[in-house]
Amino acid sequence: MTDTSTTAQGAQTIQLSQVCKSYGNYQVLKNIDAEVTRGEVVVICGPSGSGKSTLIRTINRLEEINSGSITLDGRNIHAQMRAKELNALRSRVGFVFQSFNLFPHLSVADNVSMSPIRVKGVKPDVAYDKALKLLDRVGLADKAQAYPGQLSGGQQQRVAIARALAMEPPVMLFDEPTSALDPEMVGEVLAVMKSLAAEGMTMLCVTHEMGFAREVADRIWFIDAGEIIETATPDEFFKNPKHPRAQRFLSDLRH
Amino acid sequence: MIHDMIAIVQDYWLLLLIGQYPNGPLGGLANTLILSALSIALAFPVSILMALARLSKWRLLRWPVTAVVYFTRGVPLLMLILWSYFLVPLWTGADVPSFVTMLTTLVIYQGAFMSEVVRAGIVSLGSGQMDAARALGHGYFGAMRYVILPQALYNMIPSIISTFVSTIKDTTLGYVINVPDLTFAANQVNNQLLTQPFQVFLLLAIVYYAICWSLTYVANRLERRIARRRAGVRVGNAAAPAPVTPKIATEQL
Repeated sequence: MTDTSTTAQGAQTIQLSQVCKSYGNYQVLKNIDAEVTRGEVVVICGPSGSGKSTLIRTINRLEEINSGSITLDGRNIHAQMRAKELNALRSRVGFVFQSFNLFPHLSVADNVSMSPIRVKGVKPDVAYDKALKLLDRVGLADKAQAYPGQLSGGQQQRVAIARALAMEPPVMLFDEPTSALDPEMVGEVLAVMKSLAAEGMTMLCVTHEMGFAREVADRIWFIDAGEIIETATPDEFFKNPKHPRAQRFLSDLRH
Repeated sequence: MIHDMIAIVQDYWLLLLIGQYPNGPLGGLANTLILSALSIALAFPVSILMALARLSKWRLLRWPVTAVVYFTRGVPLLMLILWSYFLVPLWTGADVPSFVTMLTTLVIYQGAFMSEVVRAGIVSLGSGQMDAARALGHGYFGAMRYVILPQALYNMIPSIISTFVSTIKDTTLGYVINVPDLTFAANQVNNQLLTQPFQVFLLLAIVYYAICWSLTYVANRLERRIARRRAGVRVGNAAAPAPVTPKIATEQL
């Protein structure tokens, strides 16, 4: 999964331009312009209800947008296209949910290997071996035969990351991956994410873990009321936030 | 009385088992079992299709099926049977065998009922499972087949089995349009004996009970086996957290 993401450093991967989305009269996203380059780790932060989750969900079209465009490697994800093409595009974007969303009727190994088999047509034994390697990588090789209901939240989220990686996506999206976890389990999930970042995976994370943002992010997007009002490196953002709303957000966090 | 019933079985077992066959149409228990099995085998996939149609965002699909479900649920089955029996030949001019009429009516009726069960099972899963499947690149039908339906149908096993059982019981209504089933045969026996209606119909009740009970028993075994498999190796260990969602959904129904 790293061979595609480490080549051509700096090439644009995700480009959002003039993205708008409304629920009825309520505008959730307002003219979002942003881009993520290959190998970059971007952390999206902002107060709750600001549109962070909606924004990240539009990137693999789990949410539709009203206007604007989002391109992945030059291809407009929100263009009119056949379901098959959309599915193929989606399979190239890994997505990790706040609530894990593992498939409870499948064993851990089947959770990880099912989509490569059913979507990409990988041979079952090949997919299974790969699943075991990925599970080993997230530290859960011994849980391959367990079912999601038997795992802790942190373990489930690590399986969810392995499941997303199994499709070999060049980009990974994380929607508050640690927000549903007990505090003692946050670290194990962040550790996996850090190792992914270190390998050069292109990542976009909505998170409230400012420690992670400071340490791992290349850039931070601060979003408020549906607008990205500040993009900065972690250093700039935490030491010297320019926008008053960002200053207030950070001072609220410190208290 | 037991002796009477044993005597009835001894004298009429062939009639009760296969009706007039081979001198007439196949009937009796054999026909009841065939009708039940076909009804269930067809109503089940029909119910899934109807449930998917009712959840479709495409109105042309959603509205007609919703209308069918509402109509079917609001009308007695017996009336539907009589309608199909008298009106279908009138409209089409075709001579439809009563067995086919009964089968079709049962499939639509029970399919409509079961589609509500299936729909409830799908809706109760929430959107997270579908989101996860779509995010991994599964198409709508792939997500339904590999992710949503295995869970929804499993969660709904008790309700689905109830519908199966009531389908079997409803085959008796074929009697009114002369479907030669077990009830029909029992009534023939009763008409010949004239003096033992209680014995004849008690026998009938016992047979139906046995069929329906066996189905429930097999289904419960199946459900427990799936539950045990999903609970993994640590089954029986109180510390093992069982999959939560299936349990809740099962208990609600």
